[in-house]
Amino acid sequence: MNDENKSLRKRKRFAARLKSSKGILCTETPGKYVVLCNAGQATGLEKDYIFKLIKEKELDIPLPKFIAEKGESHSFLVFPTSEDCKLFYDTFNDKAKADENGTPLYMTFVETVPNTEVICQHENPKGLHLLNNFITSEEEKIFLKLFDWNPETNNLKNRLVRHYGYEFRYGSNDVDLNNPLIEKIPNECEVLWKRLSELGFDVGVPDQLTVNKYQPGQGIPSHVDRHSPFEGTILSLSLGSDVVMDWKHHSGKYVPVLIPTRSLLIMQDEARYDWQHGIQPRTWDPVIDHRLENGRNIKVITSDTIQRQTRISLTFRWTRSGPCQCTYKTLCDSVEKASPDNLEDKLASNLEELHVHQVYEQIAGHFSTTRHKPWPKVVQFMQGVVPGSVVLDLGCGNGKNILRRNDIVQIAGERSSGLLAECKEHIRGISGADCVRLDLLNTTLRDETADVVICIAVIHHFSSPARRLQSITTINRLLRKGGRALITVWAKDQTKSNYLLKSKQDQLNETEPETQVTVAGVNLPVHENRTQFKHQDLLVPWKLRKVNENKLSSQPDNTLLRYYHVFEENELDDLCKEANFIIEDSFYEEGNWCVVCKKK
Amino acid sequence: MKLITHNMLTSKCLKGVMTGYPLAINATDIKVTEVDFNPEFITRVIPKLDWEVLWAAANSIGHGEGLPKTLEPKYEENEDLLKKLHRVLLEVEVEEGNLTCPESGRQFPISKGIPNMLLTEAEVQ
Repeated sequence: MNDENKSLRKRKRFAARLKSSKGILCTETPGKYVVLCNAGQATGLEKDYIFKLIKEKELDIPLPKFIAEKGESHSFLVFPTSEDCKLFYDTFNDKAKADENGTPLYMTFVETVPNTEVICQHENPKGLHLLNNFITSEEEKIFLKLFDWNPETNNLKNRLVRHYGYEFRYGSNDVDLNNPLIEKIPNECEVLWKRLSELGFDVGVPDQLTVNKYQPGQGIPSHVDRHSPFEGTILSLSLGSDVVMDWKHHSGKYVPVLIPTRSLLIMQDEARYDWQHGIQPRTWDPVIDHRLENGRNIKVITSDTIQRQTRISLTFRWTRSGPCQCTYKTLCDSVEKASPDNLEDKLASNLEELHVHQVYEQIAGHFSTTRHKPWPKVVQFMQGVVPGSVVLDLGCGNGKNILRRNDIVQIAGERSSGLLAECKEHIRGISGADCVRLDLLNTTLRDETADVVICIAVIHHFSSPARRLQSITTINRLLRKGGRALITVWAKDQTKSNYLLKSKQDQLNETEPETQVTVAGVNLPVHENRTQFKHQDLLVPWKLRKVNENKLSSQPDNTLLRYYHVFEENELDDLCKEANFIIEDSFYEEGNWCVVCKKK
Repeated sequence: MKLITHNMLTSKCLKGVMTGYPLAINATDIKVTEVDFNPEFITRVIPKLDWEVLWAAANSIGHGEGLPKTLEPKYEENEDLLKKLHRVLLEVEVEEGNLTCPESGRQFPISKGIPNMLLTEAEVQ
């Protein structure tokens, strides 16, 4: 009796929590939906455990759809009919175990389940052909036997590789045509070219093969296969496991594509030259559904997940020499070597989309945990703002520079939706503060609307002098006459800040060539963090760590490259003068050049 | 989105749009959160606003009651009015809905209280 009461109280408390946090109502009436109150993603519950329960009891019900939201200790099941659902409930409620300690799993019916599905808005990249069941299971076994190997050979940082024909050189991302390998592409692969030709793909015979072995949890950062060392067709044969490959375009399109085992992926045209592809480092993939809605075939990324197995991928390439002849400029390494100083606006914008906007969206959660405190000089400036002023914080990030003052208007503008969501949370309860998603170059705010503008660590992300000037001209436009702005940018000279780490600087091997990445026809060196800047335009690595239940995971999952233009002394002052500002103060603070200027 | 923000937003950046102001509000969800009343602050902010636009915006989302169409002098002494303004400027927030450009009809969604004013390259002058 006592136990029953306890269980009832527990259920009531859970129902109240679910109602207030998710707006989902618990019910006594059996329906198709049930919530597992004490088992979810955060408690380590996996879908397979539920399926095992059903199989062990030999219940005659179809397997339910499983919805486990990230970070939650409850989860939902969706059954085809309420009878199936009731049978599951009657069999397992308070009887099955929720964890290893033997805590009973308790559940209750619910009226609805959260909709965590995402509809993919964009079509697959043009030139991407996926041939499912390209080889038979028998052939897959033969290939696996041929190409699988033990871990002692060729260990790349996060996965295993081996090469045939030519060695693919990581770093320069090409091959040395003068140094072919003795081991050629095995004859067993000939069946692939024959079959391709039968299907109308006359691609000939490749001369380079890279084999990658991915354990569950391993991935590959987003990249484009370098243009000039390889021809216009690249093939990828998948063995051992399905995987979801993410495709990204500099226009902002993002398309996840399920690559089944035994399929052959053909990359040509746009997919080969103008999109980046990568695999996220995780042990599972989302289940991708295709549905017909209003006569249109739509792709849905469901909240259901599937475990990855060990996957072996064979990447076949055709080597070539000389500059690339493609018509896609943004990711090509052969377009006339532009310098960022005369970068076309369209290309500059593409570069920023890939190496600023998309990066901030991905790192928003992690970034925010590292940016709690506003800089003292910014606080000092903001404290000096007279009551009744309208302040714009352009590129506000997570809003750390918004003061808890209720006597000024503070409008926080930011392009990254992830950072802005953090900002919205941060400014809750500050009466005159609000958030807007906007772009500094095309700011949708009225002329002469602000008394004060702050623009902290933003303008160094614009990749051409014209765009940097435009950003400061915009700040001028938004200010009333006599209004003031505080603008700060990262300085090239880091000797007077605590950014430099002596041990890192000493480790630097000056003879080793730097890694370079070509974007928008510009060769951008990849910076070694915590060392002195050697260039003004460069990519700075961000080692992304996931935030789970407010804790950072100890290992980085992914490295993303952020574009920076680091400023020389007086460079910011000159831009402000060009934008018709009067410079009131100019100083160096902890590795940043800062200017306080006034509108004439 | 608070109405104080709406008062400053424009879609003038759009190609072919002359003023793009004021943006029409279509609110499907409105939230009211109490914050501390600071009459001096309200008094100081009023001259910085476009009053007519504020008046029309407040009425369009059903929170215009008691606001005069034109602002009388010595409004700073009218505490009742300042309280109403405090509410309409700082406490009323459009959570969900959209903003519409008066000239082009381009819509800007408001989601979770944040208006998305991003434009594509092709849309700007």
